[in-house]
Amino acid sequence: MKAPIYSELFFCVKLEANLATFTLVVTTPPHQNRTATVVEIAHALLNKGHQINGIFFYQDGVLNASKTLVMPSDEYQSIKSLAALANSNKVPMHLCITAAEKRGLTDEDSQHNILNFFTISGLGEMVELNATSDRVIQL
Amino acid sequence: MSKVNSLAIITTQAPYSSASGKDALDMALIFGSYEQDIALFFIGDGVWQLIDKANGELLQVKDYLKTFSALPFYDVEDVFICEQSLKDRGIEGPLNIQSAQTLSKQTLIETLKQYKAVLRF
Repeated sequence: MKAPIYSELFFCVKLEANLATFTLVVTTPPHQNRTATVVEIAHALLNKGHQINGIFFYQDGVLNASKTLVMPSDEYQSIKSLAALANSNKVPMHLCITAAEKRGLTDEDSQHNILNFFTISGLGEMVELNATSDRVIQL
Repeated sequence: MSKVNSLAIITTQAPYSSASGKDALDMALIFGSYEQDIALFFIGDGVWQLIDKANGELLQVKDYLKTFSALPFYDVEDVFICEQSLKDRGIEGPLNIQSAQTLSKQTLIETLKQYKAVLRF
């Protein structure tokens, strides 16, 4: 795997010395490059020893949680990358359910179409994440 | 030095063509209702949301601009407008948020710097 390109670009020397807790906010859909960027930033942070208290998915970012998403095999596989981050690195993924329902996602039993590594949340969770982190990065 | 746990929300798009302004407002109202240190900034095309007497119902969309009057009830008291953005767009006269402060570019930058985190919509 190639080295994350954001590791040196984003973090100043001060942060290298002072480990911090980050919240990431995803507002862009899976077919846009910023979803790949959030995964790279997350890995770069964790590799440097920082903590991520959660990734909050809002606006079109909620589309990343769709079970029915199919990306062409030669394009970026956002589900695989996000699943690895959630399952291997134990990064909590919070889905704003109001924004999700507006875009056809549902957690109702009969039609459930949300990937299982997402936690059904609301904007109140964003308040909690912001209150318990040192820095917030939005993509 | 930034204020602990504070959040600045910047709204930068005109109303109605996208839901961006409403998404920003919803976020601000939640942070306000949880008594967080929250500020709402109108910058760039975001200032188009401030025109008084706009009527979203004509476009069959929810007229979220009316909710601006509820900001004080949700404890969202720090509302800032970019003076230059108003000027650039020729927007004058009464705005639909009475409690908002219009700030020069330099003051706006300094005010924004006080917040721990920034979300832009």
